[in-house]
Formats: sequence, structure tokens, C-alpha cells
Amino acid sequence: MDTELQEIVDKAINEIGKATGEHQLNLLKSKYLGKKSTLNSLMKKIGSLPEEERPQFGQKVNKAKNQIEKSLTLQTEKIKEKKYEAAVSKDALDITMPGRSHCYGSLHPITKVWRELEDIFMSLGFEIAEGNDIEDEFHNFDALNTPPDHPARELSDTFYIKDDVLLRTQTSTVQVRVMQNYKPPFKIISPGRCYRNDNDASHSPAFHQVEALVVDMGITFADLRDILNIFVKKMFGSQIESRIRPHFFPFTEPSAEIDILCVNCEGKGCRICKNSGWLEMGGAGMVDPNVFDQVGIDSEKYTGYAFGLGIDRISMLKYNIPDMRLLFENDIRFLQQFK
Amino acid sequence: MNISYNWLKEYIDIKVSPQKLIDVMTFGGIEIEAVEEIGKELRQFQVAEITETKPHPNADKLTLCKVNNGEEEIQVVCGAPNCLAGKKVVLAPIGSQLGEFKIKRVKLGGEESQGMLCSEKEIGISENHEGIMILPDSAKIGKDLATQLGLNDVRYEAEITPNRPDLLGIIGIARDLSALLNTPIHLPKADPTPDNNSIEKILTLENNDAKRCPRYVARVIKGVKIASSPAWLQKRLRSIGMRPINNVVDITNFVMMEYGHPLHAFDYDKVAGKKIIVRRAQKKESFTALDENNYQLCEDDLVIADTEKAMALAGIIGGTTSHITTETSNIVLEAANFHYAGIRRTGSRYKIFTDSAYRFERNLSSTTCELVSKRAADLILDIAGGKMASGSLDSYPAPQPATIVKLRPSRVYKLLTIQINKEQIKKYLEALGLRQIASEEDRLDFEIPDYRNDLTREIDLIEEIIRLHGYNNVKTFHKPQNIMDRYRFNALRRVQDIAVNNGFFEIINWSFGDPDDLDRLQLPKDDPRCRIVPIKNPLGYSFSIMRSTLIPQLLKTALYNINHNHFDLKLFEMNKVFFSQEDSKLAKEEQHFSALLCGSALHKSWYQKSRQVDFYDAKGLAEEILNSLGITQPEWKKSEDSYYQPGQAASIFLQSKKIGAIGKLDAKIAEKFELEIPIFLVEINLEKILNIYRPQPPQFQTIPKFPVVQRDISIILSSHYSWEDLKREILQIDSKNIKEINLFDEYKGKNIENGKRSLSFTITLSSLTKTLTDQYVNNLIKKIILRLENKFSAQMR
Repeated sequence: MDTELQEIVDKAINEIGKATGEHQLNLLKSKYLGKKSTLNSLMKKIGSLPEEERPQFGQKVNKAKNQIEKSLTLQTEKIKEKKYEAAVSKDALDITMPGRSHCYGSLHPITKVWRELEDIFMSLGFEIAEGNDIEDEFHNFDALNTPPDHPARELSDTFYIKDDVLLRTQTSTVQVRVMQNYKPPFKIISPGRCYRNDNDASHSPAFHQVEALVVDMGITFADLRDILNIFVKKMFGSQIESRIRPHFFPFTEPSAEIDILCVNCEGKGCRICKNSGWLEMGGAGMVDPNVFDQVGIDSEKYTGYAFGLGIDRISMLKYNIPDMRLLFENDIRFLQQFK
Repeated sequence: MNISYNWLKEYIDIKVSPQKLIDVMTFGGIEIEAVEEIGKELRQFQVAEITETKPHPNADKLTLCKVNNGEEEIQVVCGAPNCLAGKKVVLAPIGSQLGEFKIKRVKLGGEESQGMLCSEKEIGISENHEGIMILPDSAKIGKDLATQLGLNDVRYEAEITPNRPDLLGIIGIARDLSALLNTPIHLPKADPTPDNNSIEKILTLENNDAKRCPRYVARVIKGVKIASSPAWLQKRLRSIGMRPINNVVDITNFVMMEYGHPLHAFDYDKVAGKKIIVRRAQKKESFTALDENNYQLCEDDLVIADTEKAMALAGIIGGTTSHITTETSNIVLEAANFHYAGIRRTGSRYKIFTDSAYRFERNLSSTTCELVSKRAADLILDIAGGKMASGSLDSYPAPQPATIVKLRPSRVYKLLTIQINKEQIKKYLEALGLRQIASEEDRLDFEIPDYRNDLTREIDLIEEIIRLHGYNNVKTFHKPQNIMDRYRFNALRRVQDIAVNNGFFEIINWSFGDPDDLDRLQLPKDDPRCRIVPIKNPLGYSFSIMRSTLIPQLLKTALYNINHNHFDLKLFEMNKVFFSQEDSKLAKEEQHFSALLCGSALHKSWYQKSRQVDFYDAKGLAEEILNSLGITQPEWKKSEDSYYQPGQAASIFLQSKKIGAIGKLDAKIAEKFELEIPIFLVEINLEKILNIYRPQPPQFQTIPKFPVVQRDISIILSSHYSWEDLKREILQIDSKNIKEINLFDEYKGKNIENGKRSLSFTITLSSLTKTLTDQYVNNLIKKIILRLENKFSAQMR
């Protein structure tokens, strides 16, 4: 009896182990466990056995059944796993082929720097003011303490539309309009396009500037020095120092020019900084009391600073662009480099 | 923390209304979370007098009462045995509400009853239901019951910040209000009279953990009579939501709520060895608390024990072995202080949250123990009687020294920018119970009262000054400047970003234009773009005007790149254009967006075929940009611009104003710019859009709970009809449930008659209120088809 059962189990396990498909397994299941199986007919014999042998007999047959069932389950899983592996290996891709991409364009390098400037100054609490490109002489010159006989008013430097209407030569015009139309305190920048009659590798007749103006009670030269320092480090990196030198602008007093450590050589001297280690970045100063007088702000009560920076120049430095003309040529091979 | 308006009035004279007091507390730093009017439900009942009674003719147990309600005499049928003529009683008039039950005019056993006389239980003020409530003879007929019983009150639920344990008592709140309202505070008497027996002869105290129990004050009162508390005491407890139990327990609770300092009373006769021991629990020491749970304590727990057993979990909860019962006649009164950290550990270990633990956890003052002990003893002698042994047992090994804080007035101005002088500073702080003990040039020294242990530094005093001065009395110096138009700023950036995301490269050209370019575009003389601004001293003729359109330079840039063998171009410029104005010497300056497309739209790749750009690429960009500005339904009209190829160009309108155009550059114009391949253009006048249209932020719409249904329809119809015509017609049929109509195929050519085209589209349906049935959808589709057949002579495919 025991050997008979063992033989059935061995044979079943052997055949199940060789099965490769689910259908095959179903056939084997009915062969060994079905109604017509040897085990089932053995089980039927239980009635003819003496009472005391029945439990033991039953247990043995059930054990054999369980062994076969376990083997069936195991094999089912094996087949499933194989099927899965085959499917996965069939689906394998060449992962080095390029992905389906959406093609992006890009912003112009001037716009990129323009936005970066706006973002830095907005994070420092500045508002952005817009103004006209075409301005009158008052806002471009008179209000900015530039008297009629000043050389800056020469026709050769300034594009004129009419006798007293011109293309602004600096974004300081926006300062004047803001001071005329609003009440202090002010903390603004005005990025925009300016025009000067000049055209070569480092000058464009249309160029871009950002102007800053801060007016409040108790604004000092130290505040100006601070903001320039903070801006330069945020824009070019914490290693880039800045310095200011005395200079002259009609609308600020004291006036200064801003230098930054050469972003290329960091002060060692190179072609870009003409071996000086420093690059000229723009002009700055404390708002001249005459300017306040022109727009009706009490210069005893309020003080302020202003500075201007060249956006195109920062863009050229940042992206290592050697010639200003490249900025306005709009060659697609140039534009594609700023994705 | 619950606060009663009437209770507060015991200590300070409040002249403001209960409503106004909310503001005073809120802006003084006591946040009021809820307000409840107490006694409101009792206002519907009236004081009435029974003037006459006679037996009910048809019911033995009922009585007919004549009742005077102050206005008239009415008849009420009453079943209570104690309804006697001459008694002042509580009348629930017709229309009043007793729980679920509304009083109506009814007939009881054939006799009319115009109201109901009530028991205390029926009106919800006690469990007493033995008979109707009898009011004192002095009660005024016609008065509402709440007023009669003095139960009108307002309960505030306050959120007390963790730094202010002193506010966890009504007196603490009163102290702050006294400072905020500038009115004196009167503290209650706490002066119990002892007898001649010294406490030392009858009780001993042993404090084994001075760190965890910095102070323990015990008093003994013998011969008290445990009973219900007097009405005033019950009323006070109820007014803050506490349930009265018996006089001694109620007094300990009352004093806890009064001073914010918990107390406990033990039954003296159950204290074994007549000794109070403050000690740590033994490991696994068993303790059955008043919440009827048994706890296995650990060595970190502090207990109040006698010589045999733990009687209380210190500062948290009493035990069942020694608590006050109706049999109690001698009591030990505990007023102690326990270290907050230990209370917190034990409380959270066994998850026991009591009013007592809540207060000790917040670091109370040890000084107050003496005061509350006397106050409670005084009340017990008054209310429960008995005699107090003289003296107290007081374990206070390290008395809390008074805190001194130095304040520089200059620092106050510097931080708060309020102009107040030394005198005012002194006034504010002394109102809070601080005492100025020294003064120098820029220095005031204050002694801090024991109950304000949150005040330890100069900055803490500055906070108190501004709290009393009023946070909103600090001047503001700045107003927002609105120089910047943030919407415009973001909109302009968004337009650029959308173009970039669609594969376009930004170009930047000078603002100078060539006057001949306007002729090349064949602009009619009255076109606004011909209102040019010439430059007096230009760089040259071809740079002699300020540009009025971005298109010519866009075309020239394309040509430049095509000449360098780059044919697939997607370029845009967003910049200013200029127009002369008659009424101003300055020009009109407008921000425009223009884009150019030529060559292939899709690059040839392993996953897609190359395709040349067409009209719909241009339209797609325009749609996306307008969409990003909140314009989802612009009007598209056939273009009349001179430089576009007729039939492949459209003008864009918003609120019947032209805001842009798209289209294919006419071949004849292209030739003038030396361009030989098809060029498509997009022009948007951003200035116009920003001037006339600022979208509201999107408002959330309920997400439909019911599934969407989609059906495809294919039809053939004359090319004469536009997609827009078709769509509008379909939407008209059921604009509520048709959510979307998506065109997925257009076909002309083989098998389709000349001049006709086939259109295939998906209709998406969904309803906010129901699942759309098959029948409904089928009918709707039938209707749509019928309409298309009739209107457009469409044939189904």
C-alpha cells in the first residue's frame, strides 16, 4: 500500500515537473486527482476496510494528494514566471535610442539676463517701472540736471524725432516720471531700451540698460554700496568683488563708476579685462538735490541713490560673447546656443 | 478654558458689554473660540402664581389651577401633589418648548389647560421631579425664569497659550482685564479662623521628593458636613460647564477655577498613620483612581501616600481609598505644587487628562499654594462648617525667589516705535501686578509677581507693554507702492515662455525701420502702421523710422538664416512698436508679439515623419498664447490684411476689437522680401489685450460625480460650411451636457464629391446631476444628426 502510493506520487511529480503549459497541467491534474484517478479509486476502497484502519488509510491517501497538489501549484507558478520572463525579454528596447522630444526654443541672451536682473532686484524688494523709449528733452536731460549746453545733448550722440523729442539715451527718464507721478518712498528698477548714435563691436545704436532708484528718509551712500555689492555677488557669484570710483554724472552727487572683478580671470588679468583685473559695469551715485527740486521732492527730507547697468554688456560677459553685433544679427546658430 | 462673564464681575467692575468684552480679550491676547449665552432656554418660562385650585371633575390625580401670569388669569391642569394656591411657580406658556415637547393649548379630561407648571427636571436645572418647582414668595410674577434665578450669563471658551498658566483661572483673566480695562481688581477673602488645636498634633507630613514636589501645604478641618453645595456655588460651576458633586469637592474645584491652581481633599479618617507622604511609586504599585481604573505604577510616578498606600497620583487624580464621601466628616486639604515635566510624563503614560494635570503641566507658582489653601479652607468653614486646626503643614524646602527684570525704556522705543514715557511704562506694568523697585537714567527694575513666571527677560516686558498699549496702535509708515503692474509683467513673460515652449527662438532687432518695408507689405495709406515716427538724424534711410510693425525685420531675419541654409525656422520677437499721435508730441508705444514659421514643423525621426508647417501651426501658437492670457473664445474672422494669402489667413477679435492676425504670407509679398518658401506669421497686439481684458482667477468647479460618455460622428457636407458653424449648431442642442466637441479627422479627395469634405468628431457628454442613460444619449445623437442633415444637408458616413 505505502509503496503503491509512493509510486503514484513519484510518477505524478515527475510528469508535472516536465509540463510546460497550463493545459498540460490541467490534464495531469485530472489524471492524478480527478474522479477517474487511481488515488480516487483507492479512496473509495476505504469503506471496505476495517474501522480502525480507516483513519490511517485516509491520512495516507490525503498526504499523497497534498504532495501532488503542491507540485501542481509549484509548476503552475514556474510556468507563469517563465511566460512573464519571455514577455519581458521580448519587450526589451534599445534604451540608447533618442527619446520622443518636444523641441523647445529659447529666449534671447539679452532677455535671459534682463529677467535675471529683474528677479534679483524683485527679491530685494524692488518694483519694476516701465517708461517710453521716445521721450522729451525735459525728462531725458533737463530734469536730470543736464543743462542745454551740455555736450551730451549734441546731435551726434542723440537720435532726435523733433526738436525737443528724442530717443532716450538712458533709462533714467523713468526715474523722473516715477518721481513726478508718485510719492516717495521709491524702490524701483526700470529695465529698457536706450539709443545712442554709435555703432561698432562694443556699441549698438539700440542697447539695453537697467536703472535703479531708491528714495526714502535716511538713504545713505552706504546703502548704495551695499546694494551694488549684493547685486554683483548674486549676479556673478560670491567671489566677484565690486568697487566704486569717483566719476561725474550730472544727475548724481557724489557720483561713481562701478567696477567688478573680472569674471573671466577673477582679477589676475586677461584679454577681457585688458589685464586690469577689473571690468566697468555702470554708473551710480546719490540723487542730486537739483533732480529732487525739479520733480518737487523735499531734498532735505528725502535722500536717494540711483545706478545704471548695461544689460547687453552683462549678457556678453555672462555668455562670453565677443562682439555686440552678434546680439542683433539673430543667426539661428547663435540663438540655439542659449537653450 | 471656560470663562463666565458674571463670575468675572465678582472681581472686577466690567462696564463693557459681554459682546465688547470679546474684543478686549482678543486684542489683549486671550483668543475667544466660542461664546455661549447661558440661561437663554430658561427665558421662555415665566414666574406665575397659583391663585386658586380645585379638583379636576373627571380625574382624581389632576388639579385645576387658576394661574396668574402677570397679564391675565389662565387655567392650567396640573398633576403634581404640591400645586397649592398662593405658591409662586414656573409656568411654561403656550408655544414654549420643553425638550422635544411643544406646549399647546390642550384639553385634559375635558378641561382646558393653557400651559404647564414645571418641575426642576422638566426645565433642565436639576434631577428633581418630586413635584413642581416652588419659587420663593419674593419671586416677581411675570418675570422670565432666567432673570428670576439669576442664571443669565455668557460663557466664553478661551484658547490659553501655553506660556500663560496664570490665565487658567478666572482671577488670572480678571487680572489681565483689570490692566486692559484700567479698573481695579478685588480679590476674595481668604482668612479662615482656626481653633486651638494645632495641626502638628494630628497630622505629619513627609516630602521625599522636593524636586518633583517643590511645595506641599496641608490643612485639617474636622467636623464638616458633606452636602450639596449652595445654589451660588453650583451656579458658578455650571456657568463654566462643571458638574457640582458635593460641597467640599465643589469648593476645591471652585478654587482651582478661581485661581487656576488645583487642590485636593482627603478623608482624614482614612489616612493611615495620620501621615501624608510625598514619594515615588514603587515598581508595579497598584493604584485605583477615581476614574475607577486600576493602574500599575512605576518608579517615575509621584504619589501622595499615607503609611500604607498611595492615596493619589500626585497632581493628576485622587484615589478611591481616601476620597471625600457623604460619610466624610474630617478632611485633609492639599494645596501643593508639582513639577510640570513629571506631571506630563505620568499623565501621558496612563492617558489621564484632568483639569488638575492640565494646569500643573504648565508650570505653576509655588507661592500660590498658601493662598489657595486658605481660600478653600475659608469657604469650607463657611459652607460645610467644621473647625480648622491651627496652622498648616508646609513643606517648601526651596522657596521661589522673586524674579527681578531690568528694562531699558530706550529699548522699548527702539523695538516698538511707540512714543511712551517711563511713567506710562510703569503704569502698564504695575497694572499687571509688577512692582517697580528701582529706577535709573535708562533703566527700570521690576519685581515680577509669582504667578507670572513667563516674564523673565526685558523682551517679555516689552511684549506686555505693547499688549496693553494695543498692537494696532503701532503706527505704520509705509503704504504699498503700485508703480509696477504685476499682471502685465507676468503676462508678458508668459507669452515669451509659451513661444519658447512651442519651439520658437526669440530674436531681438533694433527699433529702426525701413519706410519702404511698409510699401512692400502693401499697407493701405490709412493703416495705423503708416502713422510712422521718423527720426531726424537716422543711421541711414533704411533705419529712418521707428518701426510700427515687427514683421519686416522678422522676414529679413528669416531670409538671413535661409541664406545660411537654415530653412526650418520658428522665430518670434516681443517688443515695442511706435505710432505717431496727433494729440501728443510723444509717440504711442505698444508691446507686440510676432512670430514666423517656415520649413518643416516636425523633424524627421525614427518615431515621426517630417511635415511642413502650415496655417494650423500658426493658429496653434496663437491659441496657446491667447489661452495663457485667459482668452479661450476669441473670434476668428477672414483676414483682410494686404500681405496675407486670401483663404489662409485670419484676424483675431476680442470684444469686437482686432487683437491680432495669423496667416500665410502672400507669395507676391514674399517675393518682395526675396523669400521663396512658404512663410506663416502670427501677430498679436498685446497692448490691446492687456488694456481691455484682465481675466479673473479660475474658480473651482465641482468635479462631476457622473461618468462621461463619448460618441463619434462622421459626416460629409459642403466645404462651404465651417467647423465653427457646425460646432455652434451642435452645442445649441444641449449646451448643458455637451462638454466638448473634438474634431479628429478632416478628409477631402477620393470617394468624396468635389466641393465637399468629410468631418469626424467626438462628442463628450456629461451631466452634473445624473448618469446619462443610453436612451438619453442615443436620442441626443439622433437629434444632432437630424439637425445637421436639415441645416447643412449633411450625409452620415
